[in-house]
Amino acid sequence: MARFGDLFWKALVLTVVVFLLGVLLGFALERNRIGDIEKEFQKIDLQWNDAKLQTLYYQNVEQKFCDSAISENLGFGDKVYEEGLKIEEYDRASFLTSDLELEKKKYALLKVEFWLNSIVLKERCNADYVNLVYFFANNPDFNAEAEQDTQAEILKDLKEKYGKDLMLIPLPIDLDISMINIMRETYNIKKTPTLLINEKRRLEGLQSFDELDTMIKNEQL
Amino acid sequence: MEFITGVYLFFIFVSLYSVFLVLLIYFRNRHNLYFEKPTNGLYHISVVIPAYNKEENLLQTVNAVKNLDYPKDKLEIIVIDDGSKDKTAEIAMKIDGIRFFKKGYNSGKSDTVNFGIKNANGEIIAIIDADSYPEKDSFKKMIGYFDDPETGAVTASCFVRNTGKLIERLQAVEYFLIAFGRKILDFVDSVYVTPGSLSMYRKNLLDEVGGFDTNNITEDIEIAWKILKHKYKNRMCLSAKVYTEVPDNLKKWWRQRLRWNIGGFQTVHKYRNSFFKKSLKMFGLFVVPRFLISHVLSITGFFVFVYVFGRVIVQKLMYWIFSIQNGNTIFEVPRLFLIPSVFTFFIFLLFAFTLAFTYIGLKTMNKMDIGFKASFTILFYLVFYLTLYPLVLLHSLYLLAAGNIKW
Repeated sequence: MARFGDLFWKALVLTVVVFLLGVLLGFALERNRIGDIEKEFQKIDLQWNDAKLQTLYYQNVEQKFCDSAISENLGFGDKVYEEGLKIEEYDRASFLTSDLELEKKKYALLKVEFWLNSIVLKERCNADYVNLVYFFANNPDFNAEAEQDTQAEILKDLKEKYGKDLMLIPLPIDLDISMINIMRETYNIKKTPTLLINEKRRLEGLQSFDELDTMIKNEQL
Repeated sequence: MEFITGVYLFFIFVSLYSVFLVLLIYFRNRHNLYFEKPTNGLYHISVVIPAYNKEENLLQTVNAVKNLDYPKDKLEIIVIDDGSKDKTAEIAMKIDGIRFFKKGYNSGKSDTVNFGIKNANGEIIAIIDADSYPEKDSFKKMIGYFDDPETGAVTASCFVRNTGKLIERLQAVEYFLIAFGRKILDFVDSVYVTPGSLSMYRKNLLDEVGGFDTNNITEDIEIAWKILKHKYKNRMCLSAKVYTEVPDNLKKWWRQRLRWNIGGFQTVHKYRNSFFKKSLKMFGLFVVPRFLISHVLSITGFFVFVYVFGRVIVQKLMYWIFSIQNGNTIFEVPRLFLIPSVFTFFIFLLFAFTLAFTYIGLKTMNKMDIGFKASFTILFYLVFYLTLYPLVLLHSLYLLAAGNIKW
C-alpha cells in the first residue's frame, strides 16, 4: 500500500475538493434563488400594501370604484399564485438549505391577506365572484399527494374558465402558521385536499371539475 | 437536509473517489499500459484445458495453443474431459500432441483443473477454457512477468470472438473496458480475478495453496484472492490477447452473471476476515473493501432508485387514474422549469467521467474506429446494459438467501 499510498490520498484530496466545490455551488444556487424570491416578495408586498390601501379607501370613501379595487385585488392574487408555483419548483430543486421554508410562510401569509381582502371586497362591493380556498399540504401522504396534484390541475382549468369571477386561494396547512391554524380550526380542515367555497361550503377530498363547475355557477346565481 | 439527500451525496462522494483514483492511476502509468516484461529464460508451461460439452470448440482451442509462438519442447498440453455428454472426449482422443485424460464423471471446473495441475509437469500452469483462443504471441508476452518471484499469476486481455448479435457486441465493449480496468488495477497490485479464458499460475504456488477451491463457483476469482492473500501478485498483461465465446442470448448471459455474482459473494464471505487487515497490504486494504463496498453501494443504489422512481411512477399512475375518474385531461404540456441544483453539477460531472473512462478505455484498447453501429452499441451499453447489473445482483442475492446456488 505504501508504494501507492500517495495515489489514494491524492484521489481523496481531489474528491474532497471537487465534492466541496459542487456542494458550495449547490448552496450558491439555492441562496441565489432565495434572493430572487425575497426581491420579488418585496415588490409584491409593496403592491399588496397599495391594494390594501385602495380597498380601505373605497370601503370608506368611494364605493363607485369597486371594479377597480376588485381588479387590483385579482391582479395581486394572480401574481401571488404565480410566485407560489415558482417557489414550489424551487423547493423541488432545494436539497441543501431550508431557507425556502421562511419564504413559503411569507407567501402563505400574503395569500391569507388576499383571501381576507377578497371577503371584504365581496361584501363591500356586493361582487358576485366566488372565493375558492384550496387547502393543501406541502408534505402530504402518498395518496393525498396524487389527489392534490389532480385537484390542482382541475382548479387551474376552473380558473381559466372563470377568470376574474373566481378568486382561487391555495393555502398550505402544514407550515405551522398561527393564522392558518386558526382557519383550519374554524373550518374544521382535517385532511387535504379540502376546498372551501365562499367561506360556507367545505368539500373534503378530491372534487371533479363538473361538480365544482356546478357549485360555482350556483354560487353566482 | 433530508436523509435521502445525504444518501445521494454519499454515493456521489464514493463515485467521485473511484473516478479520481482510476484517472490518477491511468495518468501516472499511461505510458506503461502495454509494457511487456522481457524474460530471462522461457519457462516450461503446462497448458491445462478443462472441457465439458465443448465438442464444437475444443479442437480450435487446442489448435490455437499448438500454434502459439512458444518453444514446443517447453509446452505441454493437457486436456481433461469433465464427464461430457457430447462428443468432446471422442474428439480429444483423436488429437495428436496432447495428453488427454477422461475422468468419466462430471465434478466441475475447479476439480477438473486441480486434476490437470496434479498431472502437469510444467513449472507454470496455463489454464485455458475450451472455448477460448489465445493469440500466437500471448504466452511470450505474459511469461516474462514470472521473472519477478513475487508474481503468482498472470492474466491476459480477454476479447469477445462472437460479435454478430447486439448482446454479443455489448459484451465486447464490456470486455474491452474490463481489460482496461484490470490493467489499471494491476498498477496498484489489485488484480482480483484471473479469468479462465487465459491465466498462468506458478505451479509451486498452486501446490502450496491447495489449488482451486472446489466449493466456489467462480474459481477464477477465488484463486486470485488466495494468491493475493498469500502475498503474491496477480499481474495483467494488456498486450497478450485471448478470444472467447460469450453468451449469445439474454438468458445465458443472465445465468453467467448470476454465477459471477454468487461466486463473488462466496469469495467475499470466505475472505471476510481479511477486510481492512493491514498486514495483507493491498488485498486487505483495497481489494476486499472495494469489492464489498461496491456490492453494498450497488444494492443500496438499486433500492434507492426503485424507491425514488417507483414512487414517481406510482404517483403519476394515480394522478392519471384520478384525472380520468374526475373528467380531467391527463396529457398536458408541463410547465418547463430548468432549475439547476447541487445534483445537476454532480450528475453532469459523473456522466462526463463515465464517457471519459469509456473513451480512454476503448482508445487504449485500440478500438476507437467507431462507426455508427459501434457508437450505437456503446450508447446502448452506457444507458441500458449497465443498468442490468444491479438487477442481476439482486437476483443473485435472492438465490443466495434461498440457498439455491447449485451450478
